Parts: sequence; C-alpha cells; structure tokens
Amino acid sequence: MFPARTGTETDIRLPFSFIIFAVLAFAASQLVLLAAVPAMSGGAFRLPLVWAAAHLALLGFALMAAMGAMYQLVPVAFLTPIWSERLGFWQFAITALGIVTVAASLALAPNETFLPSLLLLFGIVLFVWQMAMTLKQQKNKTIMTLFVATSLLFLLLTGAAGALLAFHFFAATGANSHETVFGLHVLFGLCGWFTLLIMGFSYKMAPMFSLAHGFSMRPARYVYALYTSGIAVGLISLFLPGQTWLAVGSSLLAAGFALFAWHIYAILQKRMKKALDRPFRFSLSAIVIGLGLHVAAFAAIVIGSGRLLGIIVYLFIVGWIVFSIIGYLFKIVPFLWWTHRYSEKVGQENVPTLKQMMNERLITVQCLLFAVALVLAAAALLFTNTTLFAAFQTLFAGLSILFAGTILAVLRK
Amino acid sequence: MDILELAIHQLKTVIDPELGINVVDLGLIYRLQIQDGQIDVLMTLTTPGCPLHDSIAGGVKRALEQIDGIHDVRVQLTWNPPWTPERMSEEALRQLGYFA
Repeated sequence: MFPARTGTETDIRLPFSFIIFAVLAFAASQLVLLAAVPAMSGGAFRLPLVWAAAHLALLGFALMAAMGAMYQLVPVAFLTPIWSERLGFWQFAITALGIVTVAASLALAPNETFLPSLLLLFGIVLFVWQMAMTLKQQKNKTIMTLFVATSLLFLLLTGAAGALLAFHFFAATGANSHETVFGLHVLFGLCGWFTLLIMGFSYKMAPMFSLAHGFSMRPARYVYALYTSGIAVGLISLFLPGQTWLAVGSSLLAAGFALFAWHIYAILQKRMKKALDRPFRFSLSAIVIGLGLHVAAFAAIVIGSGRLLGIIVYLFIVGWIVFSIIGYLFKIVPFLWWTHRYSEKVGQENVPTLKQMMNERLITVQCLLFAVALVLAAAALLFTNTTLFAAFQTLFAGLSILFAGTILAVLRK
Repeated sequence: MDILELAIHQLKTVIDPELGINVVDLGLIYRLQIQDGQIDVLMTLTTPGCPLHDSIAGGVKRALEQIDGIHDVRVQLTWNPPWTPERMSEEALRQLGYFA
C-alpha cells in the first residue's frame, strides 16, 4: 500500500500506522461494549468487558489517533522535523502491543494488568521523549508549544497514575489511596492531556481551515493560565476533605474553557472562508459541547452529585474528546493521503482537492448521527434507561464501523 | 500569448487543494521575472507552517517548467511581507463565499 519513500518525502507510514490502528480499535471497542450491553442492563458498569472497551476506546482510539496526528502536525505546526522516525515506528509497536495486552488483561484477568500497563507506560515514555526532543529543536517557541508541551507532561503523569492503579489490583494494596489515584488519572488524562492538546492544535487548525487573519493570540495566554490553574487546584482538592476546592478547580477549568471557546469564536469572526467544511464544523461543535459539560461538571460538584459527575465525564469523553478527534481525522487523513498520492503531480496534471478525497454527504450523515447518539447516551444515562442505552450503543457501534470504513476508503483514492 | 501571459496561465493551474483556488487568485505570487529562458518566482503562502508548503511551491516550479523555452525555474518562498487577505482577487473571494 505504501511505496518506499524517496528523498525528503514525509514518511506517511508513521502517522498512518497510528491512525489505522486507532480507527480499528474504535470499532472494536464499540463492538465489545455492544456485547456487554446485556450485562450492563442490570445497572452494573464496573465490569471487566466495560473496562476493556473503555481502555480500547480511550487508549486504542483517542490516544493512538492523537499520537498519529502529532507525528503529522508537530512538524507542520512547529516547523521542525520529527526527531527520530525510526524511534517512532518502535514506539508505535510497543504502544500498540501495550494497549492490546492491557485491554485483554482487563477483560480476562484484571488483576494481571500491571505488567501490560508497564509496557504501555514505556510506549508513552518513548512518545513523550520523541516529542520533547522534536519540540526542543523549534526555533521560535509559541503559546502553542506551551499547550502541547504541558499536555505531554500530563500524558506521562496519566500513564504513571494508570500503572499505579494497575499495581493496586495486582498487589491487592492501595485501598486507601485508590480513589485519589483514580481521580488523578481522570483529571490528568481528560483535562491535562487531551484537552490541552486539542486546545493547542485548535489554535493552529482553526485559522488554517477558515483562512482567518488579523486576530490576536493574546487571550490564549489567559486560557492556558486559567485552565492549568484549574488542573492544579483540582489536583490539590483530591488530597483534601470536602468538595470546596474541587468546586474552585472546576470553576477555573470552566472559565478557562469558556475563554478558549470565545477566543476560537473571535478567530473565526476574522475568517475569509465563510462556508466552513462539515468535518471542521463538527470539531467546532465539540467545543460547544465541551463548554456545556465543563459548566455542568461545576454544577454537579456544587450540588454534590457524584452520579451526575460520572455521567458528565462519560459525555465529556464522547462529546468533546472523541468528537474533536473524529472531526480532525476527517481533515487530516485526506490531507496525508493527498500529499502522498498527488503532491508531486501538482502543476503537471489536474489533481483532486482535499474535499474531493471524501464523500462529504456521507460525512454529513455521520456527523448528524454521532450527535443523535450523544443525545441518546445522555438521555439513557440521566434517566437510567437501559433500552435507550442499548439503542445508543447499537447506533454508536454501527457508526464506529462506518467511520473506520470512511477513513480507510480514503486510501483507495 | 506572450511568455508572461503564458506563465500566469500556467500558474493558474496550481490549485491550493484545501481552498480550491489557484495561487494567482489567492495572491500568493509576489514577483515573476522572466529573462533569457529563466523564471524567478517570489511567492508566499497564506500562513507560515502551511502543511501544503512543498506541494504548492513544487507545483509552481513544475507548472512553469512546462513552458517551451524555459530551462530554469527558481522559486523562492518569503514570509516578508506576510500574506494578507487583501491580496486575493474578487474571484477568490467569491469562491470563498465572502460575498454570500
């Protein structure tokens, strides 16, 4: 499928290895969850199959897609080549093996997840090292560099907290600190890693996809300060009794995210491209969802509803993180494949535009159905309706397969 | 058609694949000098770190190399002055839906 590279041509096999693994893991995770629906209809969610599916989705899909996208976007956004592509392929193999073994262990023998989690942590360490060395080469550091570098630090901390949780199961220890470490794992992973990363790259992609010019980047500094302060206060609150500091932390996170949403809106007001592409609009709608869920999380903490907070975290993963990644993958994958297939033909013959690399109508339908699925999930979880949840999961599993097919179909163009 | 018109015609075949607009209407070409079978192009891109950097600059070179009598094409990219939307033609603005 991928001919050998020549000269200075980008080796697209590296980002594609991650992205193909990611879309297949996404479909697999949703099929596993679909298989677990009968067991979940009894109201039990802490099941080995559900753990396996959740990790396959968050690690196999979201983490691997983010890593693949970074191998493509970091050289573009920061004008610096990847430090070692060879290390990148090793890192892919180790991380992929780590994810598959972690998911399999969680499904079959949860107490034996510690060693696979160390393998996965090693893959993450290699990735962070690779990106740190790459960013180090950047001549003029920007606020985007700060967002991405901080997110990498949190990725490392998320992996370490995850390995510690696995050790608790393995050694049947840590009962007293288990909830705290779990809280750190969620906070670092969702807010520190994924959110800061998506924010950082949105600052590159939003102006690029909308052809926006003449906007200020100054608010990004306040977004960074507010959001990272929220994570810091949230971290401290996990070691303190009561909910007060957690509420303060979540209010800072909500304020930072609200400023980010406003800033992206302000950037888009300066755009020249009036009609935005469907995939990009889908990613933008994920920002609106993310904002609503940040505010809802603050409200749930204030009223002290742990159940509501759990639902919000689930919807945050799907509506903000997964939807952002889906929207951006719809843009990144055609670009990668176009560059590989047509870049050398520009100026010599007619080549397709990036929009022509995918069936826009099919993408529109998928985006709408993903939105319907999110509403179904919210209703099912809020009203504890297992029939609705089964309907959501069936729709979501079907969509994940359609999404994988749409992405893989680009490779035939 | 003189050689300058021919060169502009060739440049209009180089399309930014993200926007679907050619490099001339986008206002990316700052200078085009033709002398003794050699063309010197000074151009920019809509944003520094544009992922289509190599594709578009390479496309400009290949398009101009196809003109009879041209034996050398030199393409130089610059960010100074940076590209601004005012450089776009009315046709480009129309394609972007700016007047809608």
